[in-house]
Amino acid sequence: MYTLLSGLYKYMFQKEEYCILILGLDNAGKTTFLEQTKTKFSKNYKGMSLSKITTTVGLNIGTIDVGKARLMFWDLGGQEELQSLWDKYYAESHGVIYVIDSTDEERLTESKDAFEKMISSEALSGVPLLVLANKQDVENCLSVPDIKTAFSDCAPKIGKRDCLVQPCTALTGDGVNEGIEWMVKCVIRNIHRPPRQKDIT
Amino acid sequence: MRILILGLDGAGKTTILYRLQVGEVVTTIPTIGFNVETVTYKNLKFQVWDLGGQTSIRPYWRCYYSNTDAVIYVVDSSDRDRMGISKSELVAMLEEEELKKAILVVFANKQDMEQAMTPTEVANALGLPALKDRKWQIFKTSATKGTGLDEAMEWLVEALKSRQ
Repeated sequence: MYTLLSGLYKYMFQKEEYCILILGLDNAGKTTFLEQTKTKFSKNYKGMSLSKITTTVGLNIGTIDVGKARLMFWDLGGQEELQSLWDKYYAESHGVIYVIDSTDEERLTESKDAFEKMISSEALSGVPLLVLANKQDVENCLSVPDIKTAFSDCAPKIGKRDCLVQPCTALTGDGVNEGIEWMVKCVIRNIHRPPRQKDIT
Repeated sequence: MRILILGLDGAGKTTILYRLQVGEVVTTIPTIGFNVETVTYKNLKFQVWDLGGQTSIRPYWRCYYSNTDAVIYVVDSSDRDRMGISKSELVAMLEEEELKKAILVVFANKQDMEQAMTPTEVANALGLPALKDRKWQIFKTSATKGTGLDEAMEWLVEALKSRQ
């Protein structure tokens, strides 16, 4: 009886919360992606105008509900010095969204190095990785195959983790839904990192 | 909108307040009590409270917490010795229920000093990465030189406008 009642309580008043890190070099479009996600997935959210977004030197947060799951986003600054703060969040993360500026071929190696360093961390083992090839609206940008090639030697380190490279344009919202829906599916089926139970308030 | 400017004594809170309000460096004395001014920035009107930072008066900060939209936490980036105290005051403050929804902006002030810590060092020293459910941002500022304040206020205005 207790199990039944507590199950009912959980069903009615609790959400399963998953923490999602948004990482990538500075100017990749992480905050724009977060704002776009919040706008798309939460009713009544009047987002900040995307053109007003400036460099993040800290943390932006956001929460969205997708079905029974609640995603809590942590969008961190991407500048080199700030990358030292990333690992403070790994242990509590259920998924990572890594944003790449597809128009910045010059810094692709730098982005790959940061990605490789991140996935090498023990604290992120088994966590699904969504790689966003952002800014696809710009002509002659790097395509998904280009990026996959550049990141190909990361494959052994990615290992058995779920990993998807998704083309996207955070500014217009293209590819945002697909990415988020994939992430939700992956974090739910990843039994190695169970969600936090969060009361709905 | 209601903004609090907090931080240890000598961090530069009062200088920042008057920089924001009149755009000038004023000669300040340690604040015993508080200064309150209305500041208009980008058509947004703020009531800005600058509370004294000395040890004996810090317990009174909490009397001003209700209805606060944002906290500007000012740190003297060159005062490495007191970074730990600054951290514990900040942590205690952020535990308050009334400030749960407030946006946190940290001013890593006195960046004109040679031995100033970088914003990342200050962020780590204050334990900011441990904050997981609050939007925060750190800016390097020099209140006496007037650098970094505009950028910080612009960010704050946008952050306040778009609160979820």
